Amino acid sequence: MFQPHGAETAAHGGEHAAEAAHEGFNAGETIIEHVSNSPIDHPLIHLPTLVGIDFSVTKHVLMLWLVAAFVFATVTWIVRRHLAAGRPVPSGAMNGLEFVVEFVRDSIVLPNVGKKWVHAWTPLMLTFFVFILCANAIGLIPVFDVLGLLNHWVIHPDHESFLGSVTHGGTTATANFNVTAALATITFGSIIVAGTRAHGFIQHWKNLVPHGLAWPIYILLIPIEIMGLFVKPFALTMRLAANMTGGHIAILAILSFVFLFTEMFGQAAAGIGVGLAVSVPLAVGISALEIIVVLVQAYVFTLLTAVFIGMAIHVHH
Amino acid sequence: MNNPLVQPDPGLFIWTIVTFLVLLGLLAKFAWRPLLAALESRQESIRKSLDDAQRARQELEKVTEESARLVAEARVEADGIVSRSRADAERLKEEIRQQARTEAATILRNAERQIELETGRAIEQIRAEAVDLSVTIASKLIGRNLTREDNQRLIDEALSQVEARQKR
Repeated sequence: MFQPHGAETAAHGGEHAAEAAHEGFNAGETIIEHVSNSPIDHPLIHLPTLVGIDFSVTKHVLMLWLVAAFVFATVTWIVRRHLAAGRPVPSGAMNGLEFVVEFVRDSIVLPNVGKKWVHAWTPLMLTFFVFILCANAIGLIPVFDVLGLLNHWVIHPDHESFLGSVTHGGTTATANFNVTAALATITFGSIIVAGTRAHGFIQHWKNLVPHGLAWPIYILLIPIEIMGLFVKPFALTMRLAANMTGGHIAILAILSFVFLFTEMFGQAAAGIGVGLAVSVPLAVGISALEIIVVLVQAYVFTLLTAVFIGMAIHVHH
Repeated sequence: MNNPLVQPDPGLFIWTIVTFLVLLGLLAKFAWRPLLAALESRQESIRKSLDDAQRARQELEKVTEESARLVAEARVEADGIVSRSRADAERLKEEIRQQARTEAATILRNAERQIELETGRAIEQIRAEAVDLSVTIASKLIGRNLTREDNQRLIDEALSQVEARQKR
């Protein structure tokens, strides 16, 4: 979140701000550069284009892999260590993990999909929850900004190197609607799989509309239900991406006051003063809020997926 | 559509699905299934232990009740035994006392009769002895035979004297 400009403010605000003032500071462009993906035409790793799709690894793909690797390593390590200890009593990190697992199983999956299907759908929901949570949360940890500082002040690589490219773009993959759309697509697929497994393929589609109504109503109802089919994952996509982008943009906008005021008064002291008095306290406050948002959005995505799957299994009309 | 925030990126879309599904598969196999199984087995064992404890408690209650009942029964029985034996002892004592009293009375009566008998016999003997003695003494004293009447009179006198002494 503290992208290079923001982070550098603390130590070298003066000279940097003067430099920025000299170049002319465009807050909008800078902010968007800091929350969006690295450009596809300058990827981290070039991969060939298949059937018109460029599979090159951009910053957000790298972040997904980092998050997935971290989640898999951590969770598997905790579980394996617990099982290897051979004692049924959990200890250390296992307590926390069990809290998460039991919360997802008993408060999200069980009330929605019911006792019969809880075993089938708990692993998916757990993966949704921990993956989205970690992908959201990694945007709050300024690892890449420290890396960017190091890059800028110590290593001085050229702009096209891997390290140079890695520090470009936002760190929160779930702030990219392509990523959230892909996750929502998995939800979409899961709804169909759940309905098919519970009622059979044909019956699942028949369940979309209540039966036994007069035929003119179906003319109205079927298009609405089909729209609803796509609105559900679309809402998931937009909610997660927008929430993850919004907080970051707010923080960056507040931090850009430093440069805007420097430019306005032509003095670094003005920018630093506003930064200390307004920007930093506000940014800390919003960061604290973001911690809640990160948790809530992971919870909401998982909960709504469970609700949709439950609706496909228990048809109420 | 130049804004990078709303740039469609099918590569990223597909990478996300692939990454997520691979993560799901790996986690499900290596973490979630074993973890959920462990949770379930622990839940089962806790439920079983609680049930066992409940059963044991009920068992214990039953046993306690049973033993209390047994103790109460035993106490009643013991009381019965004690009171019965006390009555028996009382009766036995009374019997023995009665018997002893009867026996003592019999012995006393026998002794009295014996004494009476012995006394009678002794008096007879004394009487005979005294007659002989007094006759001998009188003969010697007087130096002559008394007439039969005198003799008889003297004997009677002496006898009555002896009898009078005896009576005293």
